[in-house]
Amino acid sequence: MIEAENLWKSYGRFQALRGLSFSVPEGSAFAMIGANGAGKTTTIKVLMNMLEPTRGSARLLGVDSRRLSVRELAQVGYVSENQEMPARLTVEEYTAYLRRFYPTWDRELEGAIARQLRLPLERRIGHLSHGMRMKLALLCALPYRPKVLVLDEPFSGLDPLVRDEFMEGLLGQAGEMTILISSHELSEIDGVATDIAFVDEGRVLFQESMADLAKRFREVRVTLAGEAARPSHAPREWMAVQATGNVLTFVDTQFDEREIGERIRARMGDVRVIDSQPMALRSIFITLARAARDGSA
Amino acid sequence: MIWHIFKKDWKLLWGFVLAVAFLHMMGALVQFKLGLFGEEPMLEMLSRWVPELAIFASAFLIAAIVHLDAVPGSRQDWLTRPIPRGGLLMEKLLFAIVMVEGPIFAASLGLSLANGFSWRASLLSTTAWSTFLLFFLVAPILAFASVTKNMAEAFIYGCGGAFVIGSFLILVGSWNALMHGTLLGATHTGLGWVAEVLRLALTAITAGIVLRLQYLRRKTAVARLLLVGLGVVLLVSALVPWKPVFALESKLSANAGAGAKTRMSFDPSEGRFQSPSGVAAPGESDRLRYGRNTADVFLPLRITGVPNDGILMVDQADVHFANESGREVYHGLGESFEVAREGPQPPEEPVYQRIELPMATMRRAQDQPLGVRVEYSLTQFRLSKSYALPAVDGEERMPGWGWCKTKVNDAGTDVELRCMEPGKGPICGTAFLENASSGARNPARSFCLSEYRPFQDHPWPDDLTHLGVNLPFRDATGLAKYPIEGAQLRSSQVVIRVYEPEDHFTRTLTIPAVRLREWEAE
Repeated sequence: MIEAENLWKSYGRFQALRGLSFSVPEGSAFAMIGANGAGKTTTIKVLMNMLEPTRGSARLLGVDSRRLSVRELAQVGYVSENQEMPARLTVEEYTAYLRRFYPTWDRELEGAIARQLRLPLERRIGHLSHGMRMKLALLCALPYRPKVLVLDEPFSGLDPLVRDEFMEGLLGQAGEMTILISSHELSEIDGVATDIAFVDEGRVLFQESMADLAKRFREVRVTLAGEAARPSHAPREWMAVQATGNVLTFVDTQFDEREIGERIRARMGDVRVIDSQPMALRSIFITLARAARDGSA
Repeated sequence: MIWHIFKKDWKLLWGFVLAVAFLHMMGALVQFKLGLFGEEPMLEMLSRWVPELAIFASAFLIAAIVHLDAVPGSRQDWLTRPIPRGGLLMEKLLFAIVMVEGPIFAASLGLSLANGFSWRASLLSTTAWSTFLLFFLVAPILAFASVTKNMAEAFIYGCGGAFVIGSFLILVGSWNALMHGTLLGATHTGLGWVAEVLRLALTAITAGIVLRLQYLRRKTAVARLLLVGLGVVLLVSALVPWKPVFALESKLSANAGAGAKTRMSFDPSEGRFQSPSGVAAPGESDRLRYGRNTADVFLPLRITGVPNDGILMVDQADVHFANESGREVYHGLGESFEVAREGPQPPEEPVYQRIELPMATMRRAQDQPLGVRVEYSLTQFRLSKSYALPAVDGEERMPGWGWCKTKVNDAGTDVELRCMEPGKGPICGTAFLENASSGARNPARSFCLSEYRPFQDHPWPDDLTHLGVNLPFRDATGLAKYPIEGAQLRSSQVVIRVYEPEDHFTRTLTIPAVRLREWEAE
């Protein structure tokens, strides 16, 4: 449905994308996460043919992004935090303008979404708040029931109430859509994404399903008999290793309940208690981001 | 789909469109109210400013049309919509034609009709003018706007471009002055149109390519590079040399060979040029006013072979002075002039070639014997039509010449003749006061232009050509006497003789040795 293969994008000397690759399975809700400047927005703009890649290719609905035609675009919804819409048209005028371009536009659905999002139809787009504009972008992306919905930082700058309304509007219509969502608002993605890719400095560090990710990341707390010290050669899969008193904590990125006790005892000797806790996506992201920043990812 | 986008653009721009249309209508109204004589100072001022303002507003409107769906950038919502790019381009063109050109066309047509010109003449000239504007104003501005993200960017780039062009022109102008007018070749002359046609064609073609590149492929960097390249070519084209252009113009002569009998020779028997009593020699007043450090030399010429009812126009006089050893001491352009043979037995009046020399050259070379070579580019005009209208309060509509009126000026010294014609209008004519019963006539005034472009090329104020000449009948100082004076005006007429260019040719005048000091004005 959506693929990127060895994507490179340069702005002068700055390389925004450096061989980024990923693949979005059909019907999934695929989240691209990464810090600001990691390359998420650039990736999406290349996918939508708003930017041309310097090297590599991206495919949307099986078509090279550089050759997206009216036919493909009529099946793709796009919502972005910095989307520029005609400021002097009203919400109603703009949706009326867009209707004609989509053969599958459902006016009833449009009305339902507008009511659900509580959008002021007669207000000019230029007079809408940021949150309202995001909701308008969503309103303009859903009534034609796109096969693919691309959301670029959709929660950025939204207050909790608007965010909830936005999510309700989105989830209410998600259906069979394939969703690509980029965000650093991890708490929102947590409940939506089925698959995830972690992007850092223009590359995908890993891509996997949320279920697998949640399974393999654990925050481990080891209580030792004596004073704990940071192991000089900690395994690569241990991140954020810290020692306080007789307690050693770390994030195990390859957690296996059957092997963890044995592995720790082999390294640390006399262990009193081993406690492992599942991690929220936000914690996983922060751990990975810090590790990437420190060069140990 | 085009109509659908068109309606959206109208919804967003109708105020701007109406304001610009109003300016064009205002401009036409002012021109109409101004009439042929244009004596109302306020209207006169408005007639200069309103059309310029209207044309600038039109340029901004065109940019605004494009920026509603800007091409460069990666934030525009329309880029992610299934909007056919070719359709969008067509819509932008159509909108510009209807909403920008439409009012211009309507205002111009209305003005022409209001001035009493026929539907056919008005439609023809207005359509030709609008086509010119479409290809060489609207399309290039559309193309330029399509490589900019918004009005601010367009304005900054436009100002930057204007600065570069202005600097180049100042530089080239100064260089040209240093080279005594020989650098710029055909630019700013009647033959400038040859390079201008190439420039306009290049501009139109580049605009087409840029618009296609932008709307169909969004290649902004390439499109910008193309526009910069075009700018460089346009600037360099100002240096197109004279000779090949004049050779081409000669090939286009309506009656090649008609000037074959024309001969030019140096005629020292005419003596030195003498300024009329109390009047500074040509160039003298400029020298006094601007403190120019130059000296004028007047070479007496004998010109034969100009047919009766013919005018010989010097389009360019390329002057070379060389010393005895053959080294060139001066190369520059001499002053252009014309020789008219009008009437049954036209008098042979002395003709002088004025050459403005730098004072340093004059001082250095004035006593040396110098060889002179003057390469003349000439055009012979033939009489094609003749019209007459009463000298006082006359009004005539003359095919090929236009609508003319006469009146006596407020000082009571001149008959003012003012004419207007849709389209390019005539380029050469003479007019004189004549008493039909006595046959007496005052000296003719010529208003010939060394201007051979086959099309109307100015973008404002309108597609009408205005002509005017004052025919003196009384000298307020009392120095000059005229055969036809004030008392005879009521029974006199203004005769207009229309001339058409028939042959462009060259002659070379060679003088083995002259001493410049001997040919300064007395």
